[in-house]
Amino acid sequence: MRHLLASKDFRDGFVEMLPACVGLVPFGLVCGVGAAAAGANWLGSLGMSAIIFSGAAQIVAAQMVAAEAPFAIIVLTTTVLGLRLLMYSAAIAPYLKPLPDHWKRALAFMLSDQVFAAAIRRFHIDDDREAAGRHFLGSGLALWLTWQLACMAGFFAGNLIPSSWSLEFAVPLCFIALVAPLFRDAPSVLAALTAGIAVLALAHLPMKLNLIVAGIIGILVGTLADLAKERWKAR
Amino acid sequence: MEGALKLWAVIFVVGALNYVSRVSFIALFSRRTMPPLLARALRYVPAAMLTALVLPMVVDAGAAGEAWLTPKVIAAVIATVVAYWKLGTLWTLGVGMVALWTLQSLIT
Repeated sequence: MRHLLASKDFRDGFVEMLPACVGLVPFGLVCGVGAAAAGANWLGSLGMSAIIFSGAAQIVAAQMVAAEAPFAIIVLTTTVLGLRLLMYSAAIAPYLKPLPDHWKRALAFMLSDQVFAAAIRRFHIDDDREAAGRHFLGSGLALWLTWQLACMAGFFAGNLIPSSWSLEFAVPLCFIALVAPLFRDAPSVLAALTAGIAVLALAHLPMKLNLIVAGIIGILVGTLADLAKERWKAR
Repeated sequence: MEGALKLWAVIFVVGALNYVSRVSFIALFSRRTMPPLLARALRYVPAAMLTALVLPMVVDAGAAGEAWLTPKVIAAVIATVVAYWKLGTLWTLGVGMVALWTLQSLIT
């Protein structure tokens, strides 16, 4: 273990992830505040950040618990939101194939938007899969540790931050950083447009149902547009 | 369901299902390839779900009829342009927050 933590690949992964970690601190603070608002104690807040370990799922779960949404709706909404992890899993699986099973299971736990981006970049340039695996572990751990600290800080001290700073705006900004680069093909733009229109048009629905309904509509429209585009090209 | 119990049920079930998504193709069914239609649909999950998540945080819910072009909406549009050019989270966050603060101070 010491050997692993001292390896250059591990340290490189850890250090290279730090700028992204800094960017996620405001988001983590908001998640901690959200957990407190949902009625969690410090252990519950830590449980959310340590076990769920997904800002999007945490913020939605906290909002829905606070809105007294039924358990099944909370689980359904966060699961569809987490389907993007399934996509990351499929994309990175070929690179992890040579690694031992316990490595695969451990690295999978750290798979998140930022770590995925960093890991796939490394796998593209480094043919040594085990070195790239240690790099993945380093960046994953850096993000996991920062995330716990940021969420805890938000839980305990979030209310000290002046509301005039509009810290909560950091959350949509982090998602915009993820989603805007996708707006490069027509099906993605259509998926986003329909989901966006639907979520606002259905804002009156109870229990934040508009999120899951709009998401599914957007995914369907994107998929259909993709199929239509392919047909069009094939003609 | 009682409050604390429900929260912990959410933590473990949502955490477990997130982990299943994460580990799925890496370890659970690593020998299978993804069905083509599923792969196609998954490609549009981030665009649809993240947009649906972002918009209510940017557009005020009760703003119908009132001015909808709020500092948050303008700052979000600016941040979208920054992010579209792949400048990353830090730049998107920095430019978006500064835009919001500037616009808010101009209004008050």
